[in-house]
Amino acid sequence: MLSEVRFEGVHKIFGAETAVEDLNLTVNAGEFLVLVGPSGCGKTTTLRMLAGLERPSYGRILIGDRLVNNVSPRFRDVAMVFQSYALYPHMNVYDNLAFGMRARGAAGSVVAERVKETADVLGLGHLLKRRPSELSGGQRQRVALGRALIRQPQVFLMDEPLSNLDAGLRVQMRAELSRLHERFRVTTLYVTHDQVEAMTMGDRIAVMNLGRLQQVDAPETLYDNPANIFVAGFIGSPRMNFVPGRLTTTQGKTAIEFLGVKTPISAGSQLTGETTGGEVTVGLRPEDLMWGRVASPDSTLTVSAEVDVVEPMGHEAYVTAVCAGETVTSRFPPRSGVRTRERVELALNPARLHLFDARSGRTILQRPVAGGADVRRTVREARKEEPAEGRSDLQRQTGARGAPSRAEEIS
Amino acid sequence: MSAVAARRLADKELIVVPYRRVSVSALATNVVLILLGCFFLLPLLWMVFASVDANPDWAIKIPTPTLANFADVIGRADALSSFRSSLILAGTTTVLTTLLALLAAYPLSRMHIPFRRSFMLVILFASGLPVSMLVVPVYQIYVYLGWLDSLYTTALFLAASSLPFAIWLMKNFIDAVPLELEHAAAIDGASTFRILRQVVLPLTVPGIAVTAIYTFINAWGAFIIPFVLTYSPENQPGPVEIYNFMGSHGLFKFGDLAVFSLLFSLPVIVLYLFMSRYFSGAFNFGGAVK
Repeated sequence: MLSEVRFEGVHKIFGAETAVEDLNLTVNAGEFLVLVGPSGCGKTTTLRMLAGLERPSYGRILIGDRLVNNVSPRFRDVAMVFQSYALYPHMNVYDNLAFGMRARGAAGSVVAERVKETADVLGLGHLLKRRPSELSGGQRQRVALGRALIRQPQVFLMDEPLSNLDAGLRVQMRAELSRLHERFRVTTLYVTHDQVEAMTMGDRIAVMNLGRLQQVDAPETLYDNPANIFVAGFIGSPRMNFVPGRLTTTQGKTAIEFLGVKTPISAGSQLTGETTGGEVTVGLRPEDLMWGRVASPDSTLTVSAEVDVVEPMGHEAYVTAVCAGETVTSRFPPRSGVRTRERVELALNPARLHLFDARSGRTILQRPVAGGADVRRTVREARKEEPAEGRSDLQRQTGARGAPSRAEEIS
Repeated sequence: MSAVAARRLADKELIVVPYRRVSVSALATNVVLILLGCFFLLPLLWMVFASVDANPDWAIKIPTPTLANFADVIGRADALSSFRSSLILAGTTTVLTTLLALLAAYPLSRMHIPFRRSFMLVILFASGLPVSMLVVPVYQIYVYLGWLDSLYTTALFLAASSLPFAIWLMKNFIDAVPLELEHAAAIDGASTFRILRQVVLPLTVPGIAVTAIYTFINAWGAFIIPFVLTYSPENQPGPVEIYNFMGSHGLFKFGDLAVFSLLFSLPVIVLYLFMSRYFSGAFNFGGAVK
């Protein structure tokens, strides 16, 4: 059974500290929602409130139609994967997996069958007799997952489950988690501070900062239309460049003036907000700020900059340059031969600019969603609507293979 | 690599391994330590030698071997009854102390209790108070309640006096059990009782064992409390009996004294060996968190 999860006006106050402020968030039934934000932003507190480990100071938390504010964790029918895994060290893998079912009074034969099933899904079959201390990090992670999976709960909660794994294993487990979610479709709330995990795994992403929810959207929407400077700066690596600018008019159209150049707002975008005194912050993604020599034809705006730092990454290079007194980062092709203190031409597409109110930090420009992202979204959603039985194993595998490739693309 | 292994390798591969130089301060330290060790080892040595000597006296000498002393002690009714008394006394104290310490330490470790820190400091202070200070008032209370000369009521006081330290010790062991395990179990659907029985208790076993053994050893060697609170010969535990060996049996029987001391030390030595295992190896939450 799939259940949605709703937070309605939830606050959590610890002494004088407000950890979560007026949270209104719905996790749709069967959705994989990633809660992302810097440390201390209240995301883990939110998760713990849903698990029942913390009680909200105000507001309502609902699982399905049931108000769970005063329901103890034991009766909430949620399963949680802890950052530390929290495996029972004195029990072997079998007993770790079986613990939850036994606690709920399942018969021995049922438990044995489910443990076997779950162990097979996660490739733990040969490890059932081992203690957690005899397992590798990745295996422990799997046991922790299995302990959650086996219960078939209404909601999965994951608290940075991949942060203790090394980089390679993390990429692999990321794909595996996506695959498991494709397969079981359990409503999932996944907490992480890693934006790559958020982008690659989430059906939707909720960004939090300082206890407040900043924006909830599909990954591509979040990337293309961040609601404010915080979201814009948090999602995307390298970080979006922010430079001061002014709103003016040119030939009767609204235009933006920044980095010593002036450009009218492009046709597809529209201003959605007022600014105080025309002061704006202009946001430029490093990949939209291209080296003049290799820029695409629609990058019509060029600025001159002096290279400060070149960071070769192999498949590309990040170039930090100073342009009209502002430091900006740009993505260059590999082996561009550009050196420190060299003057280069940077080109940018006016249609790819982000505009924020300089005072409030809120976005004032609605941009069209990029075409590629839109298509991918539809494919994914179409897959979701297909009945699971109708799909062959082969198709399922292709679907699963899609996930890591998407992960690689963004990381 | 150990030094021996290194040298063995060096012999084979012709690598020069410099010998460790002995500094003056290291030498001085070792001499002092050896002297201190003698203070403890010589009485033990006397105990071992005298116990098998046909003509023991207060000096350490090569014994004329005999087992007569052992036969003598084992044949004595008061020696055996003092073992029984010590077992009852130390056993009751241990069970009481461990159980109560566990019940007190868990909430102190896990719950938000007002003034918890001050309370723990008071407990720590209480554990440092010398018990002999309390003997007179306690004696009066026992007279008033009619509790004198019973091993069980004596154990009650021994338990009370060993509780502060036991609580402190036990709390530290429970602190070491990650709280997340209890959270995980709660989310898994386990009741509080099941969490305590299947998660917390098994992980606290080293702590329980250490607390129990420590309490047992202390109660086993307790002298002043049973000396004051018991008087009939059949209720005298070992340490009091040793004292009696020296006084009320007329002539000093060095051989019997040595044998009795030796036999009386054995349980403590065995328990110590057992406890050291818990302190080093078995204390392991590997794989629980991370």
